[in-house]
Amino acid sequence: MLSQFEYIKPLVLDEALTFLAEHEQTYILAGGTDLIIMLNKNMIDAKYILDVKSIPDLDVFKFTEGEGLEIGANVTVNELVESDVVQSKYRALCEAASVLATEQLRNRATLVGNICNASPGADLPPSLLIYDATVKIASAKGERSVPLRTFFTGVKKTLLNKDELVVSVFLPDPGKQDNSIYLRQTRLRGHDLSTVGVACRLNGDGKVAIAINAVAITPLLLTDLSDQLNAKGLSEESILWASEEIKKHIKPITDVRASKEYRSHMAGILLKRCLGQLTGKEV
Amino acid sequence: MSQPDYKKEMEQFSYKQHLDYESPYRHVGKGYSRADATEKVTGQARYTYDLEFPGMLYAKCLHSPYARAKIVSIDKSKALALPGVKAVLCGEDTDIFVGLYMQDKYVFARGEARYQGEVVAAVAATTEEIAEKAITLIDVEYELLEPVYNLDQALKNETLVHPNIGEIAHTEGVFFPQADTNIASLNKSRRGDIDKGFEEADVVIENEFSLPAVAHVPLEVHNCIVQADPFSNKIKIWSSAQSPFALRQMMAASFGINESDIQVVIPYVGGGFGGKAGIHLEPLTALLSKASGGLPVKLKMSREEEFNYMPTRAGMRGRIKTGVKKDGKLTAMEIVYDWDSGAYADYGVNVGKTAVYGGLGPYDVPNAAITSNTIYTNKVFSTAYRGFGHLETLWTIERQMDVLSQKLGIDPYDFRMMNMLRPGSRTITGELVTESTGSPIDCLKAAAKEIGWTGRKTEEEREREWKTGKVSGKGFAMIQKAPAMPANTSSSVIMQMCGDGHVKMMMGGVDYGQGAVTAMAQIAAEELNVPIEMVECRRVIDTDTNPYDWNTVASKLTWMAGNATIRAARNMVKQMKKLAAAVLHSAPEFLGHKDGYIYSLHRPEQRIAYKDLALGYMFPDGSGIGGPLISHGVCMADGLTNLHPQTGQGHPAAAWTFGCHAVDIEVDIESGDIHVKKIASAFDIGQVINEKFVYGQVCGGIVQGIGSAILEGYKFSDENVLLNPSFTDNKIPTMKDMPDEIVPIYIENKQYNGPYGARGIAEHTMISVPSAIGNAVYDALGINFYRLPLTPENVMLGILSGEKDIR
Amino acid sequence: MAQKAENKACAMTTAHAESMERRVRLTCRVNGQFVVEDIDPTMLLLHFLRDRLKLFGTKEACGEGECGACTVIMNGRPVTSCLVLAIEAEGSEITTVEGLAKNGELSILQQEFIELDALQCGFCTPGMLMSARALLDRNPDPTDDDIKEAMSGNLCRCTGYRQIFDAVKKAAKREREELKRS
Repeated sequence: MLSQFEYIKPLVLDEALTFLAEHEQTYILAGGTDLIIMLNKNMIDAKYILDVKSIPDLDVFKFTEGEGLEIGANVTVNELVESDVVQSKYRALCEAASVLATEQLRNRATLVGNICNASPGADLPPSLLIYDATVKIASAKGERSVPLRTFFTGVKKTLLNKDELVVSVFLPDPGKQDNSIYLRQTRLRGHDLSTVGVACRLNGDGKVAIAINAVAITPLLLTDLSDQLNAKGLSEESILWASEEIKKHIKPITDVRASKEYRSHMAGILLKRCLGQLTGKEV
Repeated sequence: MSQPDYKKEMEQFSYKQHLDYESPYRHVGKGYSRADATEKVTGQARYTYDLEFPGMLYAKCLHSPYARAKIVSIDKSKALALPGVKAVLCGEDTDIFVGLYMQDKYVFARGEARYQGEVVAAVAATTEEIAEKAITLIDVEYELLEPVYNLDQALKNETLVHPNIGEIAHTEGVFFPQADTNIASLNKSRRGDIDKGFEEADVVIENEFSLPAVAHVPLEVHNCIVQADPFSNKIKIWSSAQSPFALRQMMAASFGINESDIQVVIPYVGGGFGGKAGIHLEPLTALLSKASGGLPVKLKMSREEEFNYMPTRAGMRGRIKTGVKKDGKLTAMEIVYDWDSGAYADYGVNVGKTAVYGGLGPYDVPNAAITSNTIYTNKVFSTAYRGFGHLETLWTIERQMDVLSQKLGIDPYDFRMMNMLRPGSRTITGELVTESTGSPIDCLKAAAKEIGWTGRKTEEEREREWKTGKVSGKGFAMIQKAPAMPANTSSSVIMQMCGDGHVKMMMGGVDYGQGAVTAMAQIAAEELNVPIEMVECRRVIDTDTNPYDWNTVASKLTWMAGNATIRAARNMVKQMKKLAAAVLHSAPEFLGHKDGYIYSLHRPEQRIAYKDLALGYMFPDGSGIGGPLISHGVCMADGLTNLHPQTGQGHPAAAWTFGCHAVDIEVDIESGDIHVKKIASAFDIGQVINEKFVYGQVCGGIVQGIGSAILEGYKFSDENVLLNPSFTDNKIPTMKDMPDEIVPIYIENKQYNGPYGARGIAEHTMISVPSAIGNAVYDALGINFYRLPLTPENVMLGILSGEKDIR
Repeated sequence: MAQKAENKACAMTTAHAESMERRVRLTCRVNGQFVVEDIDPTMLLLHFLRDRLKLFGTKEACGEGECGACTVIMNGRPVTSCLVLAIEAEGSEITTVEGLAKNGELSILQQEFIELDALQCGFCTPGMLMSARALLDRNPDPTDDDIKEAMSGNLCRCTGYRQIFDAVKKAAKREREELKRS
C-alpha cells in the first residue's frame, strides 16, 4: 500500500462533516470492503481515512410502522439479512443482501457503502430502487435527501459532493400486501458479481416495479416498462411481453464478465422468473 | 465374429465404491490421517511465505504493461536514491538465462519485453513498503511493437517472438525448435499407414476443438527467499517449489556454478499443480541478494502477479480427422495439436511432446499420426499443469469419439469398447499392452454402470424435458495418462534407525498436499512390519541432506519413491537379519521380522529387538558388532526410451493409469447453467496406498476439472493484455460448486513393477472431466460444443443460435 | 505502430514522508490475551497478526477478500483480515487459528478436519477452520446449504471441498452431542 494516510475516527457527525469539508484526499471508511481493496491496489492515494463507525447517528436501523425503514451508514449487509423487518417487509432486499459477496464480506460491508461505491452491477440498488428509496446526505452546510434513482450518475459515480457523506437510506413502509424478489445470474454458484440482477416488487394495489443492475452505466429503475406492464395488467401474456420488452429499456455492454447478448437475454429470463414467482403464474 | 454384448458385460461387472474399500495389507491401503495434519490445523505449519530471517530484505518487481515492446531505456536513479533501497536490477545488469528445456528467457526482459507482465526490473529494500514505492520510481521508456497475438498469426511467421529461435540452446533429440518460425518444438508420432487408413474408412470426420489458458491457482502464491554470498558461489534458497533438485540443477546451469554450491530448502508448500515445478523467482532473487551484499531477500507474488507473470496452462487447438468403418472400427486418426504457449518455452515444449504419445486416448488405432506444435506468442508463458497435455488432448479425442458415435448411430459406450486398448493392442508409440498395463475397459464398465448408462436420450425424451426448462444428460470420457518424464528419471530414499527402533526416512520428492510423506511411511512400515507410529518421513526437503529426486510432478512419486522405499526397507531388514544371525548363531534366511523384532522362524522365542540392532549390537561385555543402521533405495524408470524424432516410436510410459469419468448433469435451458448432479470416477490404480488420499485426489481433481469445464479461462484484450488477473474475474469453483455426489471407484489390476502393484493417481482425476461434461451436454441438448469453457453464457448463446454445432 | 509510452506505474507516486507522528495505539484481545501495540494506521489487521504478533497461521492469498485464507473471527463474526485496518480492531476480540485448541487439546473441529482429511496442502485450512468455527458458534445445527453459504467465501484448490463439508457437518453433530452431555 503506497498511501500514507492518517486515521481519523470522529465520535460525532458534525466533527466528521467538518473534517471532510476541510481536508482533501479524505476517504470515508465504514465496512472498508471496497475502500481497502482500492488502497491495497494503489488505485487511490489517500491522505486521510475517516472511520465513521463510532458515530452513533450512523448506526440508525429503525422501522416505523406506516413510515418506513431507515438504514444508517454503519448497518452491515449481514445485519440486513438477519433483520426481521427486512425479511418480512423487504424480501428482495433480504435476498439481494444474502447473495452479496461472501459471509466474511457481508459482516463488514454496509448497504450505504454498496450504493456509494456505485458499481453498475452492485447487488443492493435494484432492491432499493423498487421501494423508492431516498438517500439522506449530510455536509457541514446542511442536509438533503435525494431519491436513489437520481443518486447514481455513472460508473462508480454519484451525485455526492466531496464534502458530503451519506447518513442513511430510507425505504417507505410498503404496507402489508406487498411482496418482492431479487434474482440474479452469476458465472458460478459461489460468490460472484452479478452478470445481471433483477428486482421486482408487487405492491398491494397489484402494481409492479422493476429494477435491474449490470445492464447500463448505473442500476436502473425501469418505470416506463413497469407503467406499460401495469397498464396491460399482469397476465401470463403480459409477463412474456415484458420479458421481451425489457431488452429495449437497457443498454448492456460486452465486458470481461459477459456479452451484451447474454446480459440482454438474461434480463428477460430473470424478469419472467421474478414476475412468475411473484404472481404465481407459470410462465 | 459377432460383437459381444457390451451392455450385458457392464451389468455383470462388479466393483467396489470407495466406502467399501478394504485393503489386504497391514498398512498399505489403509486410510491413515496425514502425518502433518496437526501442524496444519493448528497454524503451526510454516510455509516459505511465513519465513523471515534476520536482516531479510523484501523484493518487488516492475512488470511490462505491454505484450511486446522494445525497452528503450531504464532510469533507476530515483529508485536507488530512496532510503532503504539496497539494490535495483534490470535487464542490462545481467545476461543470465533461465531455461528448463530451452535457454530462451533472460532473468529480466532484456532489450524487448515479450508479454504483458514480464519483469523488467526489480528492487530489494528493507521493507515491503519501500520496495513497493521504489518500483514506482523506475522510469522505463518503451517503444511499442506489434505483438504476435495468437496461433494463426504466429504460424504465419511474419513476426517472430524469438528471432534467434534457430540458435536457442535446447535439449537435443527431445525438442525440435524450427528455425525462422514461432514453433518452439515440433514433435511427431506415427503408427501404421495413415493414407491407407483413411482409404479403408467408410466415414471420415474432421473437427476442431479448443480451450483457453487457465491458471493453477495454488493458494500459496509463488515466493522464495534467497541468500547469495557475494564472495563465493554459495546460494541458499528457501522456496515454495515442487522440485528442489531440478531447481538446484537449473540454478547451477544458469549461474555457471556447481550444484553443490546451491542448497535448496523446501518447507511446507501451499499447493503446486505443476506451476511450481520449474525454476521461477529464484534466479532473480539470488541476483538481488548478491547485489545487496548477501542479505537474504524475499520475493513473493501478489495474486495479480500470480495470474499475470507466473506461467499458466497453455491454450490449445486440436484439429482432428478420423476415419471409421460403418461398424464402428477406427481405421485412421490424424491430429494436429497447436499449443498457444506464450512468450517462453518453460515446460510448454514438454507439454507439446507429451501430446504425441498421450494424445490418442486409450484406443487401438491401427493408423495414426499426431503432430504437436508448441508455439510462441506474446502472451504470458505456459508450463506444466496437472496432467499436462492430457486434459487438452482428451477434450479433443473424447469429444471426437462422442461426435463419431453420433454420426455412426452407435452407442458411445459400445463404440469405445470396440476400439479400446486391451492386452495385445499397441499404443501409438508401439508399446505392447499387457495385463500389467491396467484396464481402461474395467474403468468404463464401472463408471458407466454407476451412473446408470442405458444409452443416449431420444429426441422425444429431450423434447419432453425441454418444456420443463431443465434437461438432464449423461456422458462419460476416458482417461489415460502416464508420467511425462525423461526416460532416465530416478528417485531415492534414505532410511536410518534411531536407538529406540524408530525409523526416520528422507526422500527427494516434496509433499505439497498429496500426502506423500504419509504414504511412504506406510510402505516402509509395511516392509519393516512395524506399527505405523515407528516410521516418520521427513517433511522438509533440503538438498544438502535429502537424497535425489528428479522432480515432484507427473503423478510419479508414489510409483518411484514407493519402489525406492521398498528397496530401502528391505535393505534395512537384510542388514538387521545379517547382524541378528550372527548374534543368534543362525542364518539370515532362517529369520523373520515383525513388530520390531528379528526372530527365529523355527524358535520364535529367540529374538532380538530392532532397537538393539539400531546402533549396532552390544554384547553383555559391552563390546559391539555391526553399526548404525542406514539404508537406501533407488528407483530408476523401468525400461523407458526417448521417442524416435520422426515416428515417435519408443517406450515413454512408466505406468499408464487408465480411468473413466461418467457424469449426470442438468442444463438450465434458459440460463445455460450446468449442474453436475453426480460424477462417478473409476481408475485402475493397481493398489490403493492410502484410501483417504486417493479419495482426496479424486474429489479435488474433479472439482478442478469442473473449473476447466464450465468456468475458467484467460481473457485477453485486443492488445494481448490479460483482462482477468484477479479472483474477481478469474474464478475458481467454491464449495457451492461441487457436484451433489462424487463416487470414486478403485480398480486394482496390479502393475508388476509398481509398489504393491500401484500406479500413480493424482492428475488423472481432473483430466477428462471437461470432456465428460461436454458429452453429457450433447446428451442433454443435442448440441455439440467444441470450445471450452462451457460457461452459462457460452451454453446459452449456443442454444439461442439454433445451431447443432457450436464451433 | 511504434510509439513511445511512459511507464504507467509512475503515475502512482506518493509524496508523503514516513512519519512516526502517524503512529496510533491499538488495544485489543487476541486469542484471549490483551495486546497493546503502537502501529502505523496503514497496517492491515492481517499484517498486524502475522508480522507484529507472529501469528503466522492466518494466511494471505489474494489481498482482496476473495479467497478467505486470512479469515479470523472478530467480535464473533468471521472477517477477511486483509480488508480490515488493524486500527479498526481497536477494542475488539479476535480469534485466530492459534486460538482454537485449548489446553493442548485439539478442538472437535480440528479433530474432524484431520479425521476426514479435510486438508491437503493446508494453506487454506486456517481460514476454513475460522469460517467453520464462526458458523457453528452462531448456528450449532446448520443445514447443508448453511454450511455451503458460510464456507463458500473460502477457496480451496486441493480438496474439492467434499471432505471439508463433511468435517464441518460431523463436527457440528459431535459438538451438539457434547453440549447435551455437559
